[in-house]
Amino acid sequence: MSASMAAPDTAGPVTPPAGTPRRAKGITGTRPWVAALFLLPALVLLGALVVYPIGYSIVRSLYDAGGSGFVGVRNYGTVFSDSGTLTAVRNNAIWVVVAPSITTALGLIFAVLTERVRWGTAFKLVVFMPMAISMLAAGIIFRLVYEQDPNQGVANAVISSVHDTFSAGSAYPGARPRPGADLAPTAGGSYTTRSTVRPGTAALLPLVGIPQAELPSSAQQAGRPRGGGITGTVWLDFTPGGGGRAGVIDPGEKGLKGVTVQAVKVGRVVASAKTAADGTFTLPATAQGAQLRLPASNFAARYGGVDWLGPTLVTPSIIGAYVWMWAGFAMVLIAAGLAGVPRELLEAARVDGANEWQVFRKITVPLLAPVLAVVVVTLMINVLKIFDLVYIIAPGATQNNAMVLALKLYLTSFGGGNDQGVGSAISVLLLLLVLPVMIFNIRRIRREGRR
Amino acid sequence: MATVTFDKATRIYPGTDRAAVDKLDIEIADGEFLVLVGPSGCGKSTSLRMLAGLEDVDDGAIRIGDRDVTHLPPKDRDIAMVFQNYALYPHMTVADNMGFALKIAGVNKTEIRTRVEEAAKILDLTEYLGRKPKALSGGQRQRVAMGRAIVREPQVFLMDEPLSNLDAKLRVQTRTQIAGLQRRLGTTTVYVTHDQVEAMTMGDRVAVLKDGLLQQVDSPRNMYDRPANLFVAGFIGSPAMNLVEVPITDGGVKFGNSIVPVNREAIAAAAEKGDRTVTVGVRPEHFDIANGEAKALAKDEPAGVAVTVNVVEELGADGYVYGTAEIGGEQKDIVVRVGGRQVPMKGEVLHVVPRAGETHVFSTSSGERLSD
Repeated sequence: MSASMAAPDTAGPVTPPAGTPRRAKGITGTRPWVAALFLLPALVLLGALVVYPIGYSIVRSLYDAGGSGFVGVRNYGTVFSDSGTLTAVRNNAIWVVVAPSITTALGLIFAVLTERVRWGTAFKLVVFMPMAISMLAAGIIFRLVYEQDPNQGVANAVISSVHDTFSAGSAYPGARPRPGADLAPTAGGSYTTRSTVRPGTAALLPLVGIPQAELPSSAQQAGRPRGGGITGTVWLDFTPGGGGRAGVIDPGEKGLKGVTVQAVKVGRVVASAKTAADGTFTLPATAQGAQLRLPASNFAARYGGVDWLGPTLVTPSIIGAYVWMWAGFAMVLIAAGLAGVPRELLEAARVDGANEWQVFRKITVPLLAPVLAVVVVTLMINVLKIFDLVYIIAPGATQNNAMVLALKLYLTSFGGGNDQGVGSAISVLLLLLVLPVMIFNIRRIRREGRR
Repeated sequence: MATVTFDKATRIYPGTDRAAVDKLDIEIADGEFLVLVGPSGCGKSTSLRMLAGLEDVDDGAIRIGDRDVTHLPPKDRDIAMVFQNYALYPHMTVADNMGFALKIAGVNKTEIRTRVEEAAKILDLTEYLGRKPKALSGGQRQRVAMGRAIVREPQVFLMDEPLSNLDAKLRVQTRTQIAGLQRRLGTTTVYVTHDQVEAMTMGDRVAVLKDGLLQQVDSPRNMYDRPANLFVAGFIGSPAMNLVEVPITDGGVKFGNSIVPVNREAIAAAAEKGDRTVTVGVRPEHFDIANGEAKALAKDEPAGVAVTVNVVEELGADGYVYGTAEIGGEQKDIVVRVGGRQVPMKGEVLHVVPRAGETHVFSTSSGERLSD
């Protein structure tokens, strides 16, 4: 080449002739205005829908409720001194830690298990189904699920039926002695006779306050105790159709079956009996001279289930609804990652002496780590912005206990607060919370891309 | 160290009628190197996986030593396996990969270290112990996979085509290394390959499988000299044995213009089955070029078979002539080995005679060996 430098006409074709004006080109060989033209639609959309709102929110957060008076950072002061916002921050923290981890763990379990069963795909479909439901609909579903009344709320229906299976409910909730009878209320909701029992004299223990409809259909006519010994009758002292006398067993009045009667001497229970179908009971001779007590267990109110949407449980309950929705999402992503794990690795580990749990712990989970990170981070971003489920599921009484930032933002700005200055300040706070997760995610994606 | 016994072990994959491995019956002695070889789909890998416990055994039994392992999970069999793609754990370093089995077994850390370092020294991996598998070359990964197996000191090594992902030169080199290592450790080894050269060079004994059926188990020498049937004859040896169907004549079989002497009983046995022909097998190196010297059947023609040369492969020390010959009215492809210094030209006609005592005769109908 150097030899031919003297003769310019023999220069290689790749060398452009000196002095020829050339249009400036970028490194990709594209003219800048063409590049700008192609970038324009995306830039306009992003600018109008992302950059401008963020900028405007920051500016707006420095103005008062009306939007005309500049207040500096006072709105931020309001945000941080408001206990409601602090509750929201605390709840958001709970959400970010608990919801993604439970959802991912559940998704991992589902993914690993469905891989091994014959009807795995059908199961996956069912678990994934809630993703097809809108947050609003899911919220309404779970509002019903968490309903306090076991007849309406599935959660409490399950809990109370399990509860009733293992501990028998009281026989006659709400029953009380007939006023004027010998029974007086004593400690803990029990009723005790004033007089003591003697053999040969039947004790009459009349109760009222039980609707006829709630008597068991097998209830019999109340009977007079037969035979000697210490006996008595517990019955519903109410004659259907009227005409009954107080404290007397009239025809048509039903005996109360299964009521526990205790004989108490100086505070100690010496004997106890349950009433028969006609309401009669018999105590052993040791009960002579004792007072009779109807313990509170006879009258305890029916087990009401768990107060799901009460102040303490409302956030965990809503997280439960969220997990129900998103476990399928986690499962599908993890199952896709699982399909990419070479079978030989698992086989090699088994041959190396690992049992199934060790294979899962030491091989499957580490190999799935990138996928698990994607799922957790995606869910974290999603959870920080949670709004609809909380707004719909939490009843008005406990909405403040369930408060999260996005909901606080909405309520402050539009739903009653009408202070868009403070609302904007909350939105900036929310942005600052999401930002680190976003940055982590972007860096991770870059790292993956480089590999 | 232990013996391994396949006792009529059978595997039928769900949804198929034909057994993938059909009544496999092999006894492998303590410290022996057995190679399972066969074309793809012959059931050799399935047999190995049955021994590893990665595949169910539908019938029969498998024993390691005196222990019946037929239905034991892999972890309880005390075996180590080298996979075709090595199956190294990508998230662990070389040292962790090699020590994984010991860690699972609860061996203490210092002992794991010494054993891993020992194995690394044998395999020349010491400087790579801290690396992840993705930072290793193919040959190094292969050695790590070997290391993972030998660190455990198992009763049996199982190797599933461990060399097929290496380039040709490295494969030859590693082949001898593995064989040498096995002799040194004296561990019973079952090795699966589709490459008959590997099988012949490495194994104490070779087992040939076809369609799930065991064809022959023998030493490489015997396998080469006395193949039990047509399939083994054609499979073992490279280039393959020439197999030509020829008519039976008095005192032997007619091969072109010469007579190949064959045992009388064998001929009788074939004739009894109603065969008019038998299949004669001659290895390429067992043809002599006879240009007029040998005794001919017909006086006016030269002895032997006339082979028209199509292609000549010169390998330096010797050469292979690929040609066609007309035998029994049919065009047959014939391969003949010739000396490296007397290579014929393309289009030339060679007259070749099979060397006496080096021919193999098989029944055409059953494929069984007739000559001894």
